[in-house]
Amino acid sequence: MAVFDPNDFEISELGPKVKDVEDAGDLEEVLEREKEGKNRDAVKTLVQSRIDKLHDEDEDAIDYTELDPSEHTVAEMANLVRDVDDADALRGMLEREEAGEDRSTAKDRIQSRLDQLESSDDDGEEEEYVPPEEKYPDLDHPTADKQYVHGVDDGEYRDMWVYCETQQGELVDVSLEMLGKARQLMDDYNDQYDEEELVVAVLMGDDVEGHAEDCIAYGADLVVVHEDERMARFQHKAYSEVFCDVARGDGHPYGREDRSERDWHEYEEPRYVLFPATNNGRDLSAQVQAELDSGLASDCSGLYIEDTVISNPAKTGGEGKRQFERVLHMKRPDFSGFEYSTILCLDKPHRDFHPQGGSVIPGSFEIPEADAEREGEVVHSDLDAPDEWFRVDVQDYDTLEEGIDLTGYEVVIALGRGIGDDPTKGIELGLELRDAFEDAELGLSRGVITSSYSFDGHVEQYIGEDRQIGESGQVVEPDVYIAAGISGAIQHKVGMDESDVIIAINTEPDADIRDFSDYYVQGDLFEVLPRLTEAVESGELRLEEIAAGDD
Amino acid sequence: MTDDREHYEAVVVGCGPGGAAAAAVLADNGVETLVLERGTEAGSKNVSGGLIYAEESAPYTIDDLYPGFREQASERPITEYHIHNVAGNKVKSYDITDLHDHDTEWSDAVLRRKMDSWLERRVHERTRETGGGVVTGVHVDGLIQEDGEVKGVTCEELDPIEADLVVAADGVNSELAREANLMDWEEPEEWFQGVKAVVDLPEGAVEDRFGIGADEGAAHLFSGDLFEGVRGGGFVYTNEDTLSVGTVFHLDSLVAEEAEPHELLDALLTHPMLAEYFDGEYDELEYSAKLVPDSKKVAHTSPHRGRLVLVGDAAGQMQAQGPIIKGMNHAVTAGALAAEAFVESRARKSRKAEPTAGELYERKLHEEGVMGKLRPKRYEVAAALGERDAVTNLTDRVLESPVGRFGIKAADSLGIIESAYSSPFMSMLMPDTKTPYVTLPTVIGEALGDRVTGENTIEPPALDDRIGDLTYDVGDPHIELLDESYAASGAAVSACPVSAQDFGGGCYRSETVKTNGHEERVVSLDTQPCVECGTCAVVADTDWNHPAGNKGVEYKQG
Ligand SMILES: Cc1cc2nc3c(=O)[nH]c(=O)nc-3n(C[C@H](O)[C@H](O)[C@H](O)COP(=O)(O)OP(=O)(O)OC[C@H]3O[C@@H](n4cnc5c(N)ncnc54)[C@H](O)[C@@H]3O)c2cc1C
Ligand SMILES: Cc1cc2nc3c(=O)[nH]c(=O)nc-3n(C[C@H](O)[C@H](O)[C@H](O)COP(=O)(O)OP(=O)(O)OC[C@H]3O[C@@H](n4cnc5c(N)ncnc54)[C@H](O)[C@@H]3O)c2cc1C
Ligand code: SF4
Repeated sequence: MAVFDPNDFEISELGPKVKDVEDAGDLEEVLEREKEGKNRDAVKTLVQSRIDKLHDEDEDAIDYTELDPSEHTVAEMANLVRDVDDADALRGMLEREEAGEDRSTAKDRIQSRLDQLESSDDDGEEEEYVPPEEKYPDLDHPTADKQYVHGVDDGEYRDMWVYCETQQGELVDVSLEMLGKARQLMDDYNDQYDEEELVVAVLMGDDVEGHAEDCIAYGADLVVVHEDERMARFQHKAYSEVFCDVARGDGHPYGREDRSERDWHEYEEPRYVLFPATNNGRDLSAQVQAELDSGLASDCSGLYIEDTVISNPAKTGGEGKRQFERVLHMKRPDFSGFEYSTILCLDKPHRDFHPQGGSVIPGSFEIPEADAEREGEVVHSDLDAPDEWFRVDVQDYDTLEEGIDLTGYEVVIALGRGIGDDPTKGIELGLELRDAFEDAELGLSRGVITSSYSFDGHVEQYIGEDRQIGESGQVVEPDVYIAAGISGAIQHKVGMDESDVIIAINTEPDADIRDFSDYYVQGDLFEVLPRLTEAVESGELRLEEIAAGDD
Repeated sequence: MTDDREHYEAVVVGCGPGGAAAAAVLADNGVETLVLERGTEAGSKNVSGGLIYAEESAPYTIDDLYPGFREQASERPITEYHIHNVAGNKVKSYDITDLHDHDTEWSDAVLRRKMDSWLERRVHERTRETGGGVVTGVHVDGLIQEDGEVKGVTCEELDPIEADLVVAADGVNSELAREANLMDWEEPEEWFQGVKAVVDLPEGAVEDRFGIGADEGAAHLFSGDLFEGVRGGGFVYTNEDTLSVGTVFHLDSLVAEEAEPHELLDALLTHPMLAEYFDGEYDELEYSAKLVPDSKKVAHTSPHRGRLVLVGDAAGQMQAQGPIIKGMNHAVTAGALAAEAFVESRARKSRKAEPTAGELYERKLHEEGVMGKLRPKRYEVAAALGERDAVTNLTDRVLESPVGRFGIKAADSLGIIESAYSSPFMSMLMPDTKTPYVTLPTVIGEALGDRVTGENTIEPPALDDRIGDLTYDVGDPHIELLDESYAASGAAVSACPVSAQDFGGGCYRSETVKTNGHEERVVSLDTQPCVECGTCAVVADTDWNHPAGNKGVEYKQG
């Protein structure tokens, strides 16, 4: 019956009919008849999609040893090779690609599938496990063997640890963001797995204990503090050694022997750790995770905990599929920012990958509300760090010039391009007026800063973006704002119009600034400023009076 | 393979019409394609008039490549086209719908933010399938060149990326074309400057005031004496509920007359002819500007080097067909042809003697007739005659003389002028002199025009308010003034569309500096109000680059 005339049927009748046809060629014929006949779009779509489906099924039966890569786009190849388990077939494909179109991306895809197959072969169950100490008796450090590094095997892990970074005595925001996220993750975790595991904050440095309370308020149950005045500044060696030391449980195979017992750390290593993806946090995280023989998902922006089923033989030991529980899923953007990879840190046979850890991009999570009522415990590390860990000595340092902060002054005198006729003189007059007040500073419009005016050396230091007031500069709200030679562009206005009293000096009768000034002096700033200075100095003009005059 | 660089089969720089067309054809052929766009969204940096044409003779049109374009990305189909010759208050109008319809399958008014962002989403869907996609906020700032060969691109925001094909669809002022030494930005004669205002109208006003239906649109052009003698003209195009009102001038003429572009735009906006469009209310949504290449002079005849191909404005493929401006359609065709060339050359790559993708692309531009439109042979002949000053002056004098006027009247009564305007042949050979832009229209207006009675009372915003209404994300300065002397860079003070003489709030400001008793006139530059039009790259001595990804001006209309 295969080929029928669709024009004899209603669309509703055609669905089941079309489904019964197994031969794509017959359907092509049906499609043709429809096109010549009623040419209904819905019918054509129906038939076509069945044809496509049959073709897809055909493709399932591809003979990969014969496959011609040039018939497929790179994207198709990428999907295709995923299904191929025969390394020889892949090698054949690679040869044909090289001989044919020789597309580097296509080759990459085939090669990476080959590598994948081969590496999983190596890890196959046939190979007998020999502990590295036996296998390489002469090596002093067992992590020298890439394949079976010796870390912990089948250890006990608990809690989520968060490294809380401080900078110049302050907790950085990302530390709080991580605590908030950790709190939320562990609350869910404890619910789901019926556990009572903790969020552990780690503070290291000089005089950091004061932050312990904050750590608790933002979500920690336990704060581990390590105080050492030599650690006032981040140092790679000392920070990573100390972190590993506190992270290793009592009786850890690589732990210190002389440690006092800690009732809060009765497991081998943390289950999870989070570091900030800051300069220091990245540096620390890489070393710590290597030292603890685990992996690291750097620069993550999403985290969740879930069970997952994995079939990679390297992880399952060749047993087919295996369920891994309580896996921290760490999402990180790829280089382009429009794809995400989810990184998992999974144990292997004979080798645990714990702590499961990553570094977190600042700003990825919200800073939680602080809860001053929260309770938690603060404990101290008892490690006495040996001097040799402090191999780096900071002899001298400089703080980058942050420039002047114009907020908080009673009076701000701002100069604009009205000083153009004699810029140096203009600045001098502004400075004189500033000095006449008790608490005043000098600001500038952007127009002055970006000009080509040549200023004499003694006033040059005052010309910089740090004094700019406005949209792309500072926002000030002094009691009195004196704007001399400023037109009042909207971008300038937004930086000063909350000032209590605004006095403008301008040669024009109605510059824009007039609209939002309390006093408008029409005149030349080179004449008006000195007179103003004089009046202030002599006490003739008093700030309180000016401010009062506003009412 | 060098280093561990990221590699894609094709990298397309820019997601305007040229880039979108290239990406469509590449993706449909399974080429792994990454599209890099510096704006926060495609369209946020772009300006056109803009009427996008689908030419009957073109091998590709935007709706072929992106079905649904007309329904979802454009404003109104343009169904009538008029040109107005203005002399003071006298105006003589001609219907040039025939010229507009010539070789036109359809033509729609567009606003670029809406159009390009729509395209961007489609481009992303399609290129993703190949393992690529669109990444916005990335400023491509150079080429990876090894041993003189182009290998890929470098970006401000990402690590260098290698590619087998680099499509520079980065528009006018293409940094890539410049770096490959294919284009330079030296001669003002080679460019136009376009300035535009998008004006909001009450609902239904477009139909009422232009006398068109819901699915119709109108285009009006203006030339004559309303632009201080600067060569060029003005346009009004109808969008759904807004108008695009703009001007396009030869850059050399703008510089020579030291004209202020925003004032010329205001001259158009406040002309009595436009009174009926505004009805006393003027609500400007956006002020914008951009350079426009003149294909007759700059369309590169061999726009490729190694793996790099230039398409669209980057290759100077912007055709001024008399008063009609065709850039977007050619960008589409060129983008698609370049992609097609790559796919073909890749398929037969094994044979050594085959042409490269670039060579094939060049051949296609000729064979498909694109190059013929961009650089018409007739123009080269006409230019040799018509552009000589002596000839110009002579024709101008004749035209202005009573005899000339008589001729005009006679010509008009015979219908010669209208048909001349409507002749694609005539419009292709208009010389770049004052004659067709200023003198002829003025004379026609004067001799034949009717007096316009309407009074136009609107007040367009001042320049500082126009700047204030734009959205900027200010980054580091992207233009460096190399020579601040007035002689070298002073032209930018007037020519920059957001600067003006005696205006302290613009990019370029004229200043007098006193050093050791002698005075010097210099210019200073602040790039914050910059709308990235490219003008000062040509008329001032600068090191000119686009801002970093996401930085700078963000157009909402475009
Ligand atoms: C006022 C005016 C009126 C016009 N009127 C018309 C008209 O009516 N009809 C018409 O057809 N044409 C008109 N044009 C011309 C038309 O706009 C252009 O020819 C057309 O936009 C060119 O398209 P394109 O794809 O080559 O470049 P563009 O549309 O300019 O696109 C270039 C893209 O590349 C991006 N980009 C640039 N540099 C980089 C970089 N380094 N890294 C990453 N991304 C980058 C940009 O953000 C942009 O999205 C007009 C132009 C102007 C200014
Ligand atoms: C995105 C963006 C961000 C910006 N951010 C800022 C910002 O943060 N801060 C800022 O200030 N600007 C900013 N600007 C620039 C702003 O738009 C103006 O250009 C700038 O504020 C103008 O400075 P001005 O008032 O000193 O100069 P002008 O506008 O040139 O005004 C000079 C005034 O001085 C008067 N004058 C001249 N001679 C005399 C005299 N002898 N005595 C008295 N008066 C005289 C004139 O009448 C005139 O009113 C920004 C611009 C943009 C586009
Ligand atoms: S500064 Fe240069 S690029 Fe920017 S708007 Fe002015 S002329 Fe255009």
